[in-house]
Amino acid sequence: MFDANKIREDFPLLKKTNIIYFDNACTTQKPKQVIDAIVRYYTEYTACAGRSLHKLARKTTEEFEKSREKVAKFINAKKIEEIVWTKNTTEAINLISHGFKFNKGDKVITTNLEHSSGLLPWQLLAKKGIIDLNFVLCNKEGEFNIKDFEEKIDRKTKLVSIIFASNVTGTKAPLEEIIKIAHDNGALVLVDGAQAVPNFPVDVRKLDIDFLAFSAHKMCGPTGMGCLYGKYDLLKELSPFMLGGETIRDADLKDHILEEVPHRFEAGIQNYAGAIGFGAAVDYLSKIGMKNIEDYEKELAKLLVEGVLKIQNLNLIGPKDWKKKNALVSFNIKGMEPHDVAILLDESNIAVRSGMHCAYPFHKFIGFDKGSVRASLYFYNTKEEIKIFIEKLTNIAKTLGK
Amino acid sequence: MVICIVALVVFSIMSIWSARYRDLARQAFKCIYLTATLRPCNVQLEQKIKTKITSKLMRIPSLASFTYKNFKTISWIFTIAFFASLVYSAYGIYNLIVYGSCDPNSATCGVNQFLQIIACYEIQIVSLIIVVAIILFAYFMIKKKNIKFVFE
Repeated sequence: MFDANKIREDFPLLKKTNIIYFDNACTTQKPKQVIDAIVRYYTEYTACAGRSLHKLARKTTEEFEKSREKVAKFINAKKIEEIVWTKNTTEAINLISHGFKFNKGDKVITTNLEHSSGLLPWQLLAKKGIIDLNFVLCNKEGEFNIKDFEEKIDRKTKLVSIIFASNVTGTKAPLEEIIKIAHDNGALVLVDGAQAVPNFPVDVRKLDIDFLAFSAHKMCGPTGMGCLYGKYDLLKELSPFMLGGETIRDADLKDHILEEVPHRFEAGIQNYAGAIGFGAAVDYLSKIGMKNIEDYEKELAKLLVEGVLKIQNLNLIGPKDWKKKNALVSFNIKGMEPHDVAILLDESNIAVRSGMHCAYPFHKFIGFDKGSVRASLYFYNTKEEIKIFIEKLTNIAKTLGK
Repeated sequence: MVICIVALVVFSIMSIWSARYRDLARQAFKCIYLTATLRPCNVQLEQKIKTKITSKLMRIPSLASFTYKNFKTISWIFTIAFFASLVYSAYGIYNLIVYGSCDPNSATCGVNQFLQIIACYEIQIVSLIIVVAIILFAYFMIKKKNIKFVFE
């Protein structure tokens, strides 16, 4: 039986403050189990992994690689080596944009719903004339246009880069269909899973995903830690865009031999504490069960969406049907600036995000030039918190809205 | 930017006693400095002050709504009132030093009534504030409603 109140006991910040934390799409709170794992590394076995031979180094290597195994299992990767540590989703996407072997005139398709991390790396390549960048235009509700995609994809398309769950509308892309169409046309698919992997089960083998990028800090793990999943053979084809310690097997003054995948992509001393914390976060989520998390978040989404739709002067971004959304709402109140709403909610101890949420093109596309307010929930949020949030928001909209 | 001028003075004085206000004073200074050097102000202090004040007034919805919607006008009034009282106070001090009375034309304002400097000019200050408030309020209302005057 899923009990959010019991789960909250694991989160020191939630336990000792009365803050209603609705900014989970930005980053999540950390449970004691994750914090303890990180502290244990710093207090009991601080060392470098894969280099020295002493006991501490062996323990670090063991824990570091064990975390890789946990993450691989979490997304059902075929091999442990298919997980490359990065510092976040952004770095993972950039690893592909820098390491993928494009020929002049190759096409990359993405959408107008992307986070800056999933857009700017391709813009940069397009500006350099390396790729031809094309867009599938999602509608104003943030729903993917399959027809448009089918029309735009062709044999010149080498890569489709797509956000799985939007950080603005909360909508999910029809990934199975997209991947099938892409593969039929000989293109690979890179999925930005930053808002997907933390909220519902993602099976890379079932979905036949080629590359998947996601971050630890959005799933109860530490900040500065993320990973790139890639099919082993595809990773082998990728060029590393950063080289340094631990990325090579041998080197002389003129040349070097690269280390095996994934180590060739992990240059320099790694974020060991981060990786170990990531492993602990994955353990924590697995213990609760991703299906349970998904089901509970659906209940929260229903309450949240139905609640905000009752508020006068409120414009909701994305679909009004809660079934089509994650537990996330972005909105504006007529006559008010998004930052004002966020500061006013903060005065009531409710933490939400305001601004463009790194999705400038989509906000401009829907005419929200000043951005929006976003409330994003996670499995430790409660129905009572939603009631308080709706109550406060109603008061703000009624009093200060147009 | 307007409210930042008042905020700088007020928070600077308050920060003598409380460190809590030092950061706000710093932000106000940064805002004025950026604006004075013709750079965009990204401090958002005005917005923070506006929403903080509004949030405190939320118990009286009409007052909160009035403050939120007319904050620009109100901040102009406060700024002008601030400078007016500054000028009048300086004028009073000047009179006090030169003539021995903060207001040589008034019999009630003597040397020993230093603390009444402001009081000497109470009527002038209040009437000035009211006039400026009416002008500004009318100006912003005209601007807000997009009223255009056509002169033939």
